[in-house]
Amino acid sequence: MKLRSIIENGLLRFFLICSVISLSGCWDRNEVNDLALITAAGFDMVSDEKIELSVLVFIPKGGGSSDQAMESGNGGASQTLVRSAEGKTVADAMAKLQEKLPRKIFWGHTDVFILDEELAKKGIAGHVDFIMRHPTLRERGQIFVSSQKAKKVLKLMPPLERDLSEVLKELSQHKLGLNITTKKLAQMLIGDSGDCALPWITILPPENKEKPKQTIAYITGTAIFKKDKMIGIIDDSVTRGVLWLRNEILLGVITIKPPKTDGYISVNVLQAQSKLVPKIQNGKWIITLKSVSASDIVQNTTKLDVSNPVVLKSLEPLLAKEIEKRIKKARNQVQEEMKADIFGFAEAFHRKYPDVWNKKKNRWNEIYPNVELKFDTKCHIRRQGLTS
Amino acid sequence: MLEQGKISPVQMALLMIPAIIATVLLLVPSITAKHAHHDLWLSPIWACGTGFFVVFLSYKLNKLFPEKTIIEYSEHALGKILGKLVGGIFLFFYFHATGIMVREYGEFVSGAALFHTPMAVIIGTMVLVCSFAVLGGLEVMGRASEIIVPVVILLYILLFILLIKDLEVKNLFPIMEKGIRPSLMGSIVPQSWYSEFILVSFLLPYVTNQKKGFKWGLIAVFIVLFLMVLTNIMALLLFGNLTSSLTYPVMVAARYISIADFLEHLESIVMAIWIAGTFIKITVFYYVLALGTAQWLKLSDYRPIVLPIGFLILLQGLWAARDLQELSHFLATSGAIYILSIQVVLPFILLLCASIRKKLGQRKGNKQNETPVNH
Amino acid sequence: MKWGLVIASLIIAMSMFLYQWPKLKKQQKKEKAAFLSLTFLGLFLSVLLIFFPEMPGPTQMIDWIYKPLGRLIEK
Repeated sequence: MKLRSIIENGLLRFFLICSVISLSGCWDRNEVNDLALITAAGFDMVSDEKIELSVLVFIPKGGGSSDQAMESGNGGASQTLVRSAEGKTVADAMAKLQEKLPRKIFWGHTDVFILDEELAKKGIAGHVDFIMRHPTLRERGQIFVSSQKAKKVLKLMPPLERDLSEVLKELSQHKLGLNITTKKLAQMLIGDSGDCALPWITILPPENKEKPKQTIAYITGTAIFKKDKMIGIIDDSVTRGVLWLRNEILLGVITIKPPKTDGYISVNVLQAQSKLVPKIQNGKWIITLKSVSASDIVQNTTKLDVSNPVVLKSLEPLLAKEIEKRIKKARNQVQEEMKADIFGFAEAFHRKYPDVWNKKKNRWNEIYPNVELKFDTKCHIRRQGLTS
Repeated sequence: MLEQGKISPVQMALLMIPAIIATVLLLVPSITAKHAHHDLWLSPIWACGTGFFVVFLSYKLNKLFPEKTIIEYSEHALGKILGKLVGGIFLFFYFHATGIMVREYGEFVSGAALFHTPMAVIIGTMVLVCSFAVLGGLEVMGRASEIIVPVVILLYILLFILLIKDLEVKNLFPIMEKGIRPSLMGSIVPQSWYSEFILVSFLLPYVTNQKKGFKWGLIAVFIVLFLMVLTNIMALLLFGNLTSSLTYPVMVAARYISIADFLEHLESIVMAIWIAGTFIKITVFYYVLALGTAQWLKLSDYRPIVLPIGFLILLQGLWAARDLQELSHFLATSGAIYILSIQVVLPFILLLCASIRKKLGQRKGNKQNETPVNH
Repeated sequence: MKWGLVIASLIIAMSMFLYQWPKLKKQQKKEKAAFLSLTFLGLFLSVLLIFFPEMPGPTQMIDWIYKPLGRLIEK
């Protein structure tokens, strides 16, 4: 009896000790001070066979004190570090990158991916696959296409934010340009048309010529992809039109010029929603963009009395025209010139007319450039600001 | 009777819910999406009929042979040799199925979090914990499920609430683009999961009130249906066409949550849900296997063989498949038919034979004045 | 390494034995037999799996039996 209880007690203790070992995850333990936190990654094309992976490593230091910020201006001790390695694929480059980093690469905090233009022109599907497949990379990471080498972009030292990944993350949250996460990109790539679009970034010319690195990269437009290959760029004002078509508009200022007066009226769009309504009529494929928006007047340089409801009402069609003009511009460039379906027209038709779609989907490339776009724009000016 | 404990009908339902859903949450959305595409959320609805049928079957069987489990009454229904054979098939099936389940758990944990930990250690720790629960008996399991399951379900629903702003309703359309066929084909795999409700027939004898047990069994099917549809709809609305190419859509969905830039990286919640749910699931299967084996061998207690069976389950888990692809392909093809044939067709045949025997026996009994079925 | 695994499974079997054996009563002969035979089966299987990890198992057997039916829903 006594022996039994001793054995049982011993076994219990043995298991408890075992559980302590396994609770810390003996084979997979990760100590924070053994990890290199990657906050952004850049993919560059080096040659036809090789790509270069650059990563932005966050250097943990006790808070960004003021003198550190000063130092970072000189390009000395900064909070971040850029390392890069070449390889046949991203995964290959990653393995080589690990050789250059004393700490283990940790991808869990990578929020920003930058592809360079050459790579984008050659096709991005394989790299997106890596991002989606890798178990610790997150699907909310944002993807950008850069005109310069991604490595150069990553080496910038933004004066206001911690590092470049923070800058790009915040910028894309304003939704003045496209905001594309890995998940959205993968969805677009396997979508009905397979065309996609990514925000296009360029480096802002530095104000202080002596500190060329102290600047940021910002979103200046949209890179348009046919399938997974980049075919062109549209600028930021055209991008706004694209946003209207994709129902991603969040804020924006639209300036209109009322007839018969001097000056302009600027309104701030506060709420906007749009919807694509497809229709097939006598073999003609038509899309109607239904949009509803509400905006406030933020500036009035005309002599019009905007507190007068009649005047306000007369402004609304003008505003609608202006919005339609922007959208048409986007449509002309993207649909007619580049023939890339980044607005989701294919999905819209597929949803509404599944039978017709399944018969004609092989001919979508021919049909798409001729899809007619109609508008049904409702604008509402709600307030006139704090003065009248 | 080998099990002295009793559980309440609610506890039975709470044991059954994770016993079905735990593995569903991770693998089923992508398996159904391969067949059903946009209609993957319809598949569980078509499939739930199997669940109701199986619960009904086990209730009917339980009425014929109260206080007996399927292993015991298969001998009564089919005769000694055939009955033993059928019991053996059941036991082999549960042995195999528990091994697969344990392996699914191991694959997920090692594929998503612990990449370097040996599979045997991941599986072994889980089996060890489960074996303690099984040694504790049915009452202990019932109480554990009462604590774990509500928390798991609440956390799970919380995930949906946090994801609402990222869902796109337009992904739902077109509904039934290619007719009803794809979603029906997609429903075969969920059906095999629903058929696991036959476990009710092992638990019903130990439920305090069988009639209420039946009712709660049906409620459990409803809850499982609700959670399955919810899972599939969430995966569809969030990922659209992408669903079928993701291995663990729910895991990725949780990772996608981002509220106000600070409430993010919530995949550990999915881990917690999955591990807690799988714990109950494996425990239920493990218990059924141990109890069934003891009944099959006519032992006086099932506890002595719990640990050796755990060891065998661990080995079977390692043996079950070479890799995840093989396992998930097996579950999506021949495995589904296999599970359905053992858990639906076999009990159905049992019920047929038993009721015919009973009818014949009653006729005989009227002549000889004795009851053919002795408890 | 392989022999290490064999020793590990022996240790598992031994600790199971140490935990369970004292709990068994004298008259539980059948239970003892079942416990021992299942433990030995486990040991045997573990040794087999350690030396032949690629050995086809129950999954392959079931897959083989149900293949004609399984093919119907394959995709």
